[in-house]
Amino acid sequence: MRYADFTPYDIVLLLQGLGVTLALFIGTTLIGLTIGLLLAVVHHYRVPGCRPVIVLVTEALKNSPVLVQLFLVFFGIPAFLHIRMTPVEAATLTISLNTAAFAFVVFRSGIESVDRDQIEAAEVFGLGRSQILRLVIAPQAAAFSVGPLVGILVNQLQVTSLISVIGVFDLTKIGNILNLRTLQPFIVWAVIGLIYYLAAKTLAHAGGRIEAALRRSVKWGGI
Amino acid sequence: MIVAENVEKRFGDALVLKRVNLRVEPGEVVTILGASGSGKSTLIRCINGLEALTGGRITVDGHDVSTKAGLVAARRASATVFQLFNLYPHMTALGNITLAPIEVLKLPKAEAEARARALLDKVGLGAQADAYPQQLSGGQRQRVGICRALAMQPRYLLLDEVTSALDPEMTGDVLRILAELAADGTTMVFVTHEIEFARHISSRIVFLEQGELIVDLPTAAFFAEDGGLAVPRIRQFLSKMKKD
Repeated sequence: MRYADFTPYDIVLLLQGLGVTLALFIGTTLIGLTIGLLLAVVHHYRVPGCRPVIVLVTEALKNSPVLVQLFLVFFGIPAFLHIRMTPVEAATLTISLNTAAFAFVVFRSGIESVDRDQIEAAEVFGLGRSQILRLVIAPQAAAFSVGPLVGILVNQLQVTSLISVIGVFDLTKIGNILNLRTLQPFIVWAVIGLIYYLAAKTLAHAGGRIEAALRRSVKWGGI
Repeated sequence: MIVAENVEKRFGDALVLKRVNLRVEPGEVVTILGASGSGKSTLIRCINGLEALTGGRITVDGHDVSTKAGLVAARRASATVFQLFNLYPHMTALGNITLAPIEVLKLPKAEAEARARALLDKVGLGAQADAYPQQLSGGQRQRVGICRALAMQPRYLLLDEVTSALDPEMTGDVLRILAELAADGTTMVFVTHEIEFARHISSRIVFLEQGELIVDLPTAAFFAEDGGLAVPRIRQFLSKMKKD
């Protein structure tokens, strides 16, 4: 007997898949934003030799398919270095770095969006580089970055669906399982798509609210 | 004392300042006149260390601005007011004024704010302490810029075309404040196109022509027929400015 029909338990499966997707998304977002921010600060300080390396690596990450990056990390690196890597480790590493590359570009533009004039004024009044970065540049760069970051994260949420290919039991992988069992691709993928859609919309909506709250509290018209 | 000796500044092939010599003693108000592109602003930017010299030497109270430690000390002794105000847009007027006193002079916040409020009162902006630059007019922004400079209690005030971006009415407000400061004995290096005003407040006037300091005279002598006006270029410059 084939269990071809949908069962109430499928909802639990879907929720589990969604949980894995969201956990991976949140984890890679936190790691990615942190690394992206660090890269932008190192880039800003013109640490000798770092700029070309950072630009090269982030450009490579931004301009190659995430699926290829995922294969390189999951199959290529373990084979090359003779190490073992679980699908979740490979997925976390790949998506984190990919988010970091895009976040770096946003943070860098945020930093560079601050007028040279203001920085000169701060210099003339004797503020040091880290004081200028923290007190003059960072608040304005942060306000500048919120909108673009939300856009990137909404996209990255969907990019996580690729990790199903290397065997992570995320939402898409659950979709695959349900599809193979029920042979009802239209219903299964419509439902999976709808769940992604709702998650992405919720994220975009939350991002929009944060931006609006910032705009209300930031009276200087920086956003 | 601010001393510039044989100062040379080159941008690529362009020689913007040519062997400029200038001394500013405490208590003096020295106005730098000259056509646009004559190097006036560059000279100010060399004194406050925003441009590195390509020749010569500038010291502020003996501190050489081309050395790291010297520049820190020189910047402590002077404060700059900019043509385009250069305020921090994400900070209120009060925040703009207190930032450097708190961060650089390490004043307690309350003391820095009390001083800032007193300065704002003095320039007629007591009610605007919590306004952001965006909410202020150009003239108000520049008055905040002046307060920001004064809050550092500088020995020298460097003013780089501070009224060039303002309309005549706002210019009047700003110039009144500068006149009061001059009367109080504030030492100023003043780059401007406001010739009549310069004549009133300056103790000395120097004239830059294509990067060369061609005249350096006490104010009365600068405007005297047998002084500055005897130099054809200055006569031409002054008559042109009057027509405008």
